[in-house]
Amino acid sequence: MENLLGIAIGAILINNIVLTKFLGLCPFFGVSTRLKNATTMGLAVTFVMTASSILTWLVYEYLLVPLHIQYMRIVVFILVIASFVQLTEMFIKASSPTLHRSLGIYLPLITTNCAILGVTLMNTVVEGYSLIAATVNGVATGVGFILALVLMAGLRERLELADPPQAFQGLPLAFISAALLALAFQGFSGMIL
Amino acid sequence: MSKSSVLDVIKSKSVVVLTLICLITGGMLAVTYNLTRERIAEAEQAEINQALSEIFPSAEFVEENDYYMALENGELIGYAMIVEGRGFGGKIKAAIGIRLDGTIQRVRVISHSETPGLGSKVAGDEFLAQFEGKTLEELKLKKEGGEIDAVTGATISSRAVVDIVREELQKMMGRLAEAQE
Amino acid sequence: MKFQEFTKGIIKNNAVFALALGLCPTLAITTSVENALGMSLAFAFVLISSNLIISALKRFIPQEVRIPCFIVIIASLVTAIDLFIHGYSPTLYEHLGIFLPLIVVNCIILGRAEAFASKHSVSDTFLDAAGVSVGFALAIISVSAIRELLGSGTIVIFGHEVVPAFTSSPAVVMLLPPGAFLTIGILLALLKRAKVI
Repeated sequence: MENLLGIAIGAILINNIVLTKFLGLCPFFGVSTRLKNATTMGLAVTFVMTASSILTWLVYEYLLVPLHIQYMRIVVFILVIASFVQLTEMFIKASSPTLHRSLGIYLPLITTNCAILGVTLMNTVVEGYSLIAATVNGVATGVGFILALVLMAGLRERLELADPPQAFQGLPLAFISAALLALAFQGFSGMIL
Repeated sequence: MSKSSVLDVIKSKSVVVLTLICLITGGMLAVTYNLTRERIAEAEQAEINQALSEIFPSAEFVEENDYYMALENGELIGYAMIVEGRGFGGKIKAAIGIRLDGTIQRVRVISHSETPGLGSKVAGDEFLAQFEGKTLEELKLKKEGGEIDAVTGATISSRAVVDIVREELQKMMGRLAEAQE
Repeated sequence: MKFQEFTKGIIKNNAVFALALGLCPTLAITTSVENALGMSLAFAFVLISSNLIISALKRFIPQEVRIPCFIVIIASLVTAIDLFIHGYSPTLYEHLGIFLPLIVVNCIILGRAEAFASKHSVSDTFLDAAGVSVGFALAIISVSAIRELLGSGTIVIFGHEVVPAFTSSPAVVMLLPPGAFLTIGILLALLKRAKVI
């Protein structure tokens, strides 16, 4: 039996997807200027990440492995993720126009969010998790992503009121804040579960 | 042509093109895979051979189940094995040499993904040289009552390597005791 | 052929510094100059070849399925280079790890395919892709040089000491995640101050 709690805490804090694994940085810097957008984006990513973890795991285990074409994983995984995102967008558009208005612009961005492909590759090839562990890892990584994004958005909303030297305004200051945030998360490294 | 049939034509063309592209690239990948497959296997074997010859420099190796017997002039001088374990940042793959008296001949780390500059030092000679000649009881970190100094700032990586080596030695000694009975 | 298609991607529209794209590999694999060189080459291969193919095929690819087509082409090329590096340089393969397959979702590549290659001639596309590749290489090599210099106290490329070790206690934090963010933040501020970007 795998240590599911260990996987979850590991994915949220110790190996935070953004701050220690450097995945999903584009949305991390792109969508973290407002707390509300950050939360919405985080939830959307968590949803897609969980579903993709399950789908790619099934495809890998029951299609690629039996056919001995594991080397096709990159192409197949990205297609599975892209199709899933596309279907979700169509479904949301049809069922809830309000939700589509708030999520619409983020969904296409999620396909090229490297955190999603990264997690699916880690689940199957790198770690060789079971289906349950892969699902837990998908959810927990998403939660870690929300955590990082919300913390960052909170910081950046306050930074707007600050008056830094002109050269540091905007992105440079965001990077330096992220450095301090990452430094704080380094404190979790070495926790054993 | 009515509007809907125009749409159908566009859609069918899209599907055909996308399928074609998938098929062509899939075929090309299959070719690339077959071209590089042997090379990948060779590279992996070369890494293992390199590590083995560093452990017992003048020996020949005979593969036996999941370990190697090191022979010098036809005489057994020790055992070697390739093992994988979990480190701090990911998998650690190591080669371990064991002498006939149950002490460690040498340990080599083949691959790892520990933190560069900190945990990565467990693959360095300074850390690994400590393993030479150690017995099962001594294979623990100093703070846990053993004889191995952890790399500063990388206790987890150090412990991981020590654990991998100790477990493997224990397994090997159990196996040899069984064979003697 | 317009030569500025080549030069614009190097500094002025540098993908990493000016547009803040492709940040994941820029932060993750820049712990040594050697890794950055390997990443630059793999990236340049995928960007140039995928954009050439897309530019050559642009008339055959229907508008509404262009993104899936681009993704399939890019993903196949990434798989090819992944297999190739695995076979010919296992050490580099180990170091780049998951960031080698993740070139697929590097926004720079899909971005150039969509914004440039699918609308311009093959020769212009080549210049554009080559320029962006040089710009990307410049960015990640400079970040990695700073991090390796301060974090390891030396720069070693393929066994040669380019900068000999000058300290026995380097600032290891520069090799850790915070150091990556800090390096880019300060580099960006300096570039902004010098009005380069």
